[in-house]
Amino acid sequence: MGIIDKSRIYSPWLYHLHCGGCNGCDIETLAALAPRFDVERFGIQLVPSPRHADILLTTGCVPKQFIPMVKRIYEQVPEPKVVVAVGSCACGGSLFYDDAPDNYAILGHPDLLIPVDVYVPGCAPKPEAVINGVVQGILKLAEKRTKK
Amino acid sequence: MLDPVYTVLSLIIIVPLALFLGVIYSFLIRKLSARFQWRVGPMFRMYSDLKPLLGTTRLLQPLYDILKLYGKETIVPDVSRRRLFVYSPYLSLIFAVTAILFIPFPGMPLLSGVPYSLIIASYLLIASTLFSILGPVASGSPWAAIGARREVELFLVSELGFVLSIFAVAIARQSLVIWDIANGGQSIYLALLTVAAGVLMLVAMLGKLHIKPFDMPEAEAEIVAGPYTEYSGKLLGTYYLTKVFILYGLVALFISLFLPPLATSVLWLPLYLLAALVLVFLLTAVQVLNPRYRIKNAINWYLKVVIPLGILNLIIALAIWLVV
Repeated sequence: MGIIDKSRIYSPWLYHLHCGGCNGCDIETLAALAPRFDVERFGIQLVPSPRHADILLTTGCVPKQFIPMVKRIYEQVPEPKVVVAVGSCACGGSLFYDDAPDNYAILGHPDLLIPVDVYVPGCAPKPEAVINGVVQGILKLAEKRTKK
Repeated sequence: MLDPVYTVLSLIIIVPLALFLGVIYSFLIRKLSARFQWRVGPMFRMYSDLKPLLGTTRLLQPLYDILKLYGKETIVPDVSRRRLFVYSPYLSLIFAVTAILFIPFPGMPLLSGVPYSLIIASYLLIASTLFSILGPVASGSPWAAIGARREVELFLVSELGFVLSIFAVAIARQSLVIWDIANGGQSIYLALLTVAAGVLMLVAMLGKLHIKPFDMPEAEAEIVAGPYTEYSGKLLGTYYLTKVFILYGLVALFISLFLPPLATSVLWLPLYLLAALVLVFLLTAVQVLNPRYRIKNAINWYLKVVIPLGILNLIIALAIWLVV
């Protein structure tokens, strides 16, 4: 493993993409980034622009109005990238998305639009679970690189 | 000391050394601000069970960030002026590295002995900032445009303080050569000037390095990532590298101008590093203790502080020149 592959594991940068959740998962995600759980210990940083990110962290089930934005933000993240879906809505649509989706406003989980690598279930997942999901994402990031 | 072979060797050595020290300084800024905020921050020693995966130490965390950015895809937006967008980060880096060659390090005079080296070094630092403004302007993003405009306004006022403080020292010491200034002795009057001009330089450094009350050019959560919004991959990494070099360069310039003779002999190296640490600590303390100014207030504050302090500096410097 080269130094660049190593540094990819050492400094994953997160972009927090909120797509139509109830804000519960967002609070837990931000708690994971705040002083108590302080992920900067492992070099993880929250970045303000998707162009700087390695890991796209999505919460919530995607409303139909939000489809172009989600696609566009995913395309703006430079390769190699990993998508971590946080919360029950982002994992399977939760109560907004049954077997027969007929909701006029909600599309469902983001996996219908963009390839999700890691799912973190829970409503809302604890900060520990979010951190675990991000770590799984980092491992996938390392794998993606070695394959190429 | 002016042996050409030694000079060439030291010019080659200083670039990785400056990179290393700059990385350590920016690590310290991150670590200290984390400790001030009751966080742990990037770890000196990783937890023993995570060592195989996450490495032993994160002392070089800023360097890992830069290396990672060099390994990523670089996106160039369609609406950008492609040539200016792509070349500006590299030009900015080249100017920052060249500026470092004119600033002495303990045991290495480098090019600081050439005539007018003080003016050359300050011009090169300005040119580096100029290209860190031009690139974002060429990116075609509204966030970058807002960030670049703020950067220009901040740059105008912080540069005023920078120039006033270095020229006060130059007048008092009767020299425009950094090496001569760094070699000069100390007296009570000069110590007075060191305090007054040092405070002014520190204030100017806050603006140049985007330390907290003056970080509105890259105000996160307000204008996305400011000037760097459209930058990704290698180009962003180059800007981060430039920042590291400029941090080192300003700290080294501060020490060589205001704390002579710390930047001359290799025997002063421990004290030099101590002075650098104190300076970085001061910058971090300012960063964590302050919220962000609006650009208007920042300019007002700068004008209120810099102009009286600069005039005071010039009076002290002229008095030292004419009387002492």
